[in-house]
Amino acid sequence: MSDLRSLEADLERSLRRLEPRTKFAEAFAQAETGQEVRFERKTTGVTREPHLRGAVIRAWGGSRWIEAATSSLDARSLEAAASSLEHSLTKSAAGSAPPGESSTLRKEWTDRPARPGRDLSSEEMIAFSRDVFGWATAVPGVQNAQTGVGWSEEERFYLNTAGARCYGVLNRMRGGCLAIAIENGRAENDYAFFGSLGGQELMGYLNERRVTETARSAVDLLHATGAPAGEIPVILDPSTAGTFAHESFGHGTEADQFVRNRSYLRPILGQTVGPESLTIIDQGSYPGGWGSVLFDDEGQPGQRTVLVDHGKFVGALHDRETAAALHAHPTGNARRSDFLSRLFVRMTNTYVEPGDWTLEELVKEAKHGVLLEHATSGIEDPQGGQMQLKVNRGRLVENGELTTVVPSVALSGKVLEFLQRIRGISHRADFEMSPGYCGKGHSDLIPAGTGGTYLLSTAVVGPA
Amino acid sequence: MSAAASTAFDAADRLRAPGPWEIFGERSRRYEIHLNGRSIEMIRGPILIEGYGLRLFRPRDGGMGIGSQASTELTEAGVRAAARDAEELAKYSAFPAKSIDLPSGKSGTGDGPEVCDPNLWDRPLETLEGFVDALLQPFEGERDVEPSFGSVRATLTETTITNSSGLRVAYPHTTAWLELAVKASGGPEGAAPGEYWVNDTVRRLETRDLPDRVREWSRLARDVRRAKSTPSGELPVVLPSAILPTILPAVIGFRFTGSARLRDLAPELGTTWAAEAVTVRDDGRVPWGIGSSPVDDEGSPQRARPLLDRGQVAGLLYDTRHAGAFETRSTGNGWRGRALIYLDWRRFLGPPVNTTSTLSISAGKDGSDAELIEAAGDGIWLQQLGWAVPDPVSGAFGGEIRIGYRIRDGKLAEPVRGGTLGGTVMAPSGHPSLLRNVAAIGSTPVLSEWVQSPTLLIRPLTVAGQN
Repeated sequence: MSDLRSLEADLERSLRRLEPRTKFAEAFAQAETGQEVRFERKTTGVTREPHLRGAVIRAWGGSRWIEAATSSLDARSLEAAASSLEHSLTKSAAGSAPPGESSTLRKEWTDRPARPGRDLSSEEMIAFSRDVFGWATAVPGVQNAQTGVGWSEEERFYLNTAGARCYGVLNRMRGGCLAIAIENGRAENDYAFFGSLGGQELMGYLNERRVTETARSAVDLLHATGAPAGEIPVILDPSTAGTFAHESFGHGTEADQFVRNRSYLRPILGQTVGPESLTIIDQGSYPGGWGSVLFDDEGQPGQRTVLVDHGKFVGALHDRETAAALHAHPTGNARRSDFLSRLFVRMTNTYVEPGDWTLEELVKEAKHGVLLEHATSGIEDPQGGQMQLKVNRGRLVENGELTTVVPSVALSGKVLEFLQRIRGISHRADFEMSPGYCGKGHSDLIPAGTGGTYLLSTAVVGPA
Repeated sequence: MSAAASTAFDAADRLRAPGPWEIFGERSRRYEIHLNGRSIEMIRGPILIEGYGLRLFRPRDGGMGIGSQASTELTEAGVRAAARDAEELAKYSAFPAKSIDLPSGKSGTGDGPEVCDPNLWDRPLETLEGFVDALLQPFEGERDVEPSFGSVRATLTETTITNSSGLRVAYPHTTAWLELAVKASGGPEGAAPGEYWVNDTVRRLETRDLPDRVREWSRLARDVRRAKSTPSGELPVVLPSAILPTILPAVIGFRFTGSARLRDLAPELGTTWAAEAVTVRDDGRVPWGIGSSPVDDEGSPQRARPLLDRGQVAGLLYDTRHAGAFETRSTGNGWRGRALIYLDWRRFLGPPVNTTSTLSISAGKDGSDAELIEAAGDGIWLQQLGWAVPDPVSGAFGGEIRIGYRIRDGKLAEPVRGGTLGGTVMAPSGHPSLLRNVAAIGSTPVLSEWVQSPTLLIRPLTVAGQN
């Protein structure tokens, strides 16, 4: 692994060069290493992270930010990036300081997992993927499976002219199994996957029992009857409840949308929006979270932000500018997809706190409806207050019991109506955090964790 | 950018590895203007990135070990480090091709379809700024409508491809991407604001039709505010061409390829998978198509390739790897940068995948949009889904209706919103699917990102609403 700290003098020099022309500038450098194996019946693929390192320099131009980025980290390229900013700053009125608090945090995070992914040999990664493939395809009806495992080490280094200096390495492990069942030309699939900060210990998630269940589910889907259509009671499984948290009170609480007057939630900050049992959190400091940050890209530490507290909408996610505009404090949610992309207010790990129901009690309470399982995606509508959740499979609830498996389902609903119809949330033993990728608009994907337990409400669902 | 890029050629000069090998190089400049309402929030650029993706092909155990490595290090040491990694990875990779037939020859910039906007190329920031001015100006005439969030981003790229068979290709191309949240508000007290989301990737920036487009987006944003609940049922649905890129390429771009054939998921040639009126080609030479270029990302020349001929499977698409597996020729369908979102400025970072360029659905004889609406009788005009999220394996697609229109008595009626619409893009005989249920095809194809198609009438698709 490269050590970006060796660039400190060059980055400092670039920032110092800008100081006569701006009240504030910051530099963010990034490098990543990693390896991934993908295994199928006829192919094995082994890939490594690109040899790609780079930096972005951001400076306050008096009324707006200006940035320049480079994928070369030699002193000359950094100098050129600073020079282009210097030129732009000459043209702007740089008299004022940027809005908000500048980080002065000075800290390094260099802890490594006890058994980091990088200690795995290619042979070991292939053997693991082959084992998972073997478990999946041992299930009658499963013709193929796409399995794999990967690790990455992402190095992030942040400096600013206010004195902040943050350095850290994020060790991530991920893996998965997509089981594919084919019959008479019809194909169905189901999946299991994991992704967290950590090391080889995480690979235990893809054990024989879980993979076999996933493979059997793919076969069940081949014979699944039509998905329900209409407004009915819905129980979200933990992965879907997490996606719900992300899409409902995640995107809408990114305070840049408040400042743009683009969030339907802004006018109801402080109001009761759901039942007493509902608490939604965003936590960049979540231990091991896929979306966890050591420090955000303005040098603020990851932290826990309560968004909905026992049914009351109490908080939003901030960067320095939105915090200044709304009389709040930065929450450690200023994130760049990478050094080539701009910074936005983004979520980290967003989850619904557990309640005190059991799944059996929720099923009985629903009486007739559908249990939505294995979330595949979600999308928000921060202006209109709608949300869409999609799952790979469901199970009908009939007379208070789980019955038939149904194929992929989409849920549509108004978030506030959905919240008001929540009738129960299951207990901590059901809690799961899931890894995913989140976009802002249609771009700038970042790792984001979502979590929750089973949750019962009512919404429109249909086949998808 | 001063001299013409030679990224791949420079890397090849420093590569000390036996063939077969391939190097895909790119040098890109990126500029972005971000909006907050009608104000410019941020200007970014130049964002410079130059790099290459190297692939080595090594026969092994009766098949092929393929090692790939991407890098931005163009020094001798950097290229050798990338080659070392690729060589090592090839030892562990396995692909069932006895040989790989890499394309050879030379191609210049003038040999392909138009893919480079000269204004954007020569004056990127000025062109972006001019576009933003032209974009914002018509909003001044729209009462109670304004943009709330958005950006215009342009990438100017010089692509170079070379390989051990003597191929040397270089061509410039541009892409521009507009995203814009158009918000309608005000009016009678109590009406919530409405938003229409614009998301469009193009090869060139044109300002001529912006007043008409802003007027249309504003109408849609206003209609979101007054939209009614979606009905439920198996209904005729009219799909304009603009919505098809979110539904079709993910499924057809996988199932009609050698990649799917290798997984026993491709349809058999000559079997019927669509209504008789449906003829589909993959065409990498559509002028200004985002999927167009003189060659694919392995250097194979572009052309039109039949996929469905009057409902029957007429061909599959291959890149060099999958052509090698089935002892056939590449059809020019090896493409980079096709992830969840199109990474137009960092395509060299990942190896090529076997997929479509521009899906082209042949014009039908069923006339204008108004005639298709009339033929639908009682149904839905689908303007925008939340996210269709098509599943390439099962073919399932669907999502929330963000804005659509009820069709009553053969005419567009009130706007509808909420609820879901979905189905399966393609399914075997005996199962309903979008392709089998095509009931009418309009007469005028329109290019929308990855699809060139007329408006389609599907009878039926499943719609689920509160009613």
